[in-house]
Amino acid sequence: MLAQTFEEAGLSTVMVTMMPFWAEKMGTPRTLGVEVPFGHTLGMPGDREMQKMIIRAALSLLEQAQQPGAMSEVEVEWPQASDVARKDWQPLEASPIIKMMREQAQARAEGRKQET
Amino acid sequence: MPVDSFKYLPRSIAAYYQTLRVERMDPIPWTPLSKPLNQCRLALVTTAGIYDKAREPPFDAGREKREPMWGDPTYRRIRRDLAQGQIGASHLHINNRDILADVNIVLPVNRFAELEDEGVIGSLAAVNYSLMGYQPNTSEWRARYAPEVAGLLKDEALDAVLLTPA
Repeated sequence: MLAQTFEEAGLSTVMVTMMPFWAEKMGTPRTLGVEVPFGHTLGMPGDREMQKMIIRAALSLLEQAQQPGAMSEVEVEWPQASDVARKDWQPLEASPIIKMMREQAQARAEGRKQET
Repeated sequence: MPVDSFKYLPRSIAAYYQTLRVERMDPIPWTPLSKPLNQCRLALVTTAGIYDKAREPPFDAGREKREPMWGDPTYRRIRRDLAQGQIGASHLHINNRDILADVNIVLPVNRFAELEDEGVIGSLAAVNYSLMGYQPNTSEWRARYAPEVAGLLKDEALDAVLLTPA
């Protein structure tokens, strides 16, 4: 959405995202997909080489894309095991929306219990 | 191997996301890059919800806690010469630990300063921008804040923007 507004204003954009699925659905002008955990768009903290590799791939797409909706990907070897990484990016305390959904699910479950 | 957008998501959330409908903009807006990269002025825009502790307030996490279906739609300015210790992070949906250790994983000011020195890009903007990615309703972004940031970037005669959702 930001990318689209910026392009309309006359700025060229390239977006790096761990969710190219969304970018494709929304119609993002230039998208570089990268398989990294949330909050780590350009790699691991302190890992200059990984950060630079992703940035260079993004700049290359910015330069070479010929038409709106251009997508490419860059392969990254994530240094954590998947099950560790899947937990590690998540907030220590559940976000307000997740808390709310859990409370609603619990209330529904209790409602069902009372009915039986 | 193609990027799996759902690899790091809990299964229930991944399943929910896959069913959501998205409004697609058609045709996709497009500004061709107007000059070679080594002459371009670039800015960085992230939705990691970071801010400069010395200059601006955090995003409004208090209101989000009271109203979970609301996300702060405003933006913050991040100067390119900001010290790592000045970075604050308000995002309630990710663990901010690694961003507080190295802001370059979401707003690569140091990496872009290096690319400027190497002559790969023309220059990096003096001021870059941060927003809060959790936006259940993007109408305020659409109507006000995204055009406002676009205007500020245009005022600085910038050519291109690297966007990094978190």
